[in-house]
Amino acid sequence: MSSHYHAKGIVGGAVNGFEEGVISLLLGLMTLLTFINVILRYGFNHSIIWSLEVVLTLFAWLVLFGIAYCFKVTAHLGVDAVTNLLAPRPRKALALVAGTLCIIYALLFLKGAYDYWAPFADLPPTAGRWFPLGLDHSVRSASFFETDQIPMPDWLRFLEGWINYDERYSKLPRMVPYTMLPIAAVLILFRVCQAVWRIWTGAAPSLIVSHEAEDAVAEAALLNKDR
Amino acid sequence: MEVLLLFVMIIGLLLIGVPIAVALGLSSILFQLMFSSTSLGAVAQAIYQAMAGHYTLLAIPFFILASSFMSTGGVAKRIIRFAIACVGHLQGGLAIAGVLACMIFAALSGSSPATVVAIGSIVIAAMRKVGYTKEFAAGVICNAGTLGILIPPSIVMVVYASATDVSVGRMFLAGVFPGLLAGLMLMVTIYVMARIKNMPKGEWLGWGEIGDSFRDALWGLGLIVIIMGGIYGHPWLDLSPFRIYWKGGAFTPTEAAAVAAVYAFFVASFIYRDMGPLSQGEGKRPLPLWRKPVAIVTAFFHRDTRDTLFESGKLTVTLMFIIANALILKHVLTDEQVPQHIANAMLGAGLGPITFLIVVNVILLIGGQFMEPSGLIVIVAPLVFPIAIQLGIDPIHLGIIMVVNMEIGMITPPVGLNLFVTSGVANMPMMAVVRAALPFLAVLFVFLIIVTYVPIISTYLPTSIMGPETIIK
Repeated sequence: MSSHYHAKGIVGGAVNGFEEGVISLLLGLMTLLTFINVILRYGFNHSIIWSLEVVLTLFAWLVLFGIAYCFKVTAHLGVDAVTNLLAPRPRKALALVAGTLCIIYALLFLKGAYDYWAPFADLPPTAGRWFPLGLDHSVRSASFFETDQIPMPDWLRFLEGWINYDERYSKLPRMVPYTMLPIAAVLILFRVCQAVWRIWTGAAPSLIVSHEAEDAVAEAALLNKDR
Repeated sequence: MEVLLLFVMIIGLLLIGVPIAVALGLSSILFQLMFSSTSLGAVAQAIYQAMAGHYTLLAIPFFILASSFMSTGGVAKRIIRFAIACVGHLQGGLAIAGVLACMIFAALSGSSPATVVAIGSIVIAAMRKVGYTKEFAAGVICNAGTLGILIPPSIVMVVYASATDVSVGRMFLAGVFPGLLAGLMLMVTIYVMARIKNMPKGEWLGWGEIGDSFRDALWGLGLIVIIMGGIYGHPWLDLSPFRIYWKGGAFTPTEAAAVAAVYAFFVASFIYRDMGPLSQGEGKRPLPLWRKPVAIVTAFFHRDTRDTLFESGKLTVTLMFIIANALILKHVLTDEQVPQHIANAMLGAGLGPITFLIVVNVILLIGGQFMEPSGLIVIVAPLVFPIAIQLGIDPIHLGIIMVVNMEIGMITPPVGLNLFVTSGVANMPMMAVVRAALPFLAVLFVFLIIVTYVPIISTYLPTSIMGPETIIK
């Protein structure tokens, strides 16, 4: 059913495999954890209390991580009815404008993601509303905030020394799940810039697809080819 | 006034080809930076919480996954065989069977395009082989596929429930009768057209074939039982003392969706074996499990399983990216008290329930031209919901009206989602599909009017099973 993105070169292939692997793995883990929790509750009157919070975190990770990937493989949905009516040159110009707007979005999201995450990691957020104007040291650290239910694994204990002034964590600190925000933001910015570059060089016509099933449709169409 | 600017900006961005999610998000962020004191950090938090804070929306990836396993796992072709055995002998039988198959697949899947791809790719080819025109075949499947979001489970309903805080369980029940009615109306229309145009009919294969095909499709159909039984209750065994009793709903819709996904994986990999380590490729008999017992472990990591997970994950990402950004826009609208302003304006103009519903229909039909259904619901539902409550319209009924409007939006030009998918699947130009879909589009319009003005069709089942709706009373 899938028409895979064909990566160029060894590094490209490895990166692509990694990205696809992470997306599959996160969704698989979410499903299995939820399923196991239901079975435990149903059959054994028992439940893993941290299961739900972990699943929701994985859900957020899946989507945040996947956004960048979907920019890479041009999977985001958009409206192409108008741009398709245009001649190639104005179409490319509009696609570049759209791409620039996506870069602005990615930059704003990157600043927001860092600002939100930083206090939880005992770091200063950036000052300024639109544009980072230095660091704002007046914001209080929020590194002591913990998740509601997720237990603290021992191999993450080093975080206590790094960000929590050697105070012991009894639950996983919030900083850990939120770390995906700045990571995803950087990835998104990178992939959006790449996508715009592809439009600039003429390697890709646009940033969007018109519907979600484009891959599957291409395969199904083979069945209905006019002979 | 500023809000008007916001909407103009969104539409402008959409039209020049900015991804829907970015158009919604960027407009809302810029609006907030200019006219309110919200920080960018709060925006990032809102995007994170769109997933981590919405338990209801968690059902979406699971339903997508379940339906993905079902379509790769060969369930669609078994359902089609069963549908043909049931109604294939009527005049226009294969077309009617196509509608029936779409209805059954809709009960396994929560998405219209998925339904069109799964059923359409097989049925359209089959219909052409026995002498239907390609246009007719495409028109039928294009319309019947929209039932995917009306017959439960439905991703659009999950989004509506999440946006308005009504129960997903109620919404699913409310979709049952309207879904059956719409399917029936399509079938009757096809039958009448078939009699007039003297379309081909298949052979009656006897009750034996119905039984055989049903047994073959049974594992797939079991998914409906799991979802519905899990949410609304099912018979259960008590061992001491030994008795059979009715156990009330045990799963939340989200859990039911996860169980359905795992079940679909098992059926696809170990029972139908059309995918996974036991599959031997197209047209060959799959291996039995005892010949390759290691499959119990390898199935989880098999290429097919990973691909299905990956495709579902990717689809989840694109949908949730839109929904997350639509939620930012929703925050902006609520902060600006736009719903209240609209409500006051509409109520001040002496708007009754009937004119209000017409307005809702028009807004959604137009909006459906530009937007992906889930994103549109996130934005429009909070706007019209308070008015509906004040006018005494049942929120569940409103939800069904919105879903039916989305269905029609999917098959009206210029930007109907199902039109794109069908034109791809049937390999014919968009405009040809539009023309082919028109007669059935008329049927769905009549259906929309019926559903809008006869609320009992939607509200009867949830009210009688789960008690009266509490939000308005």
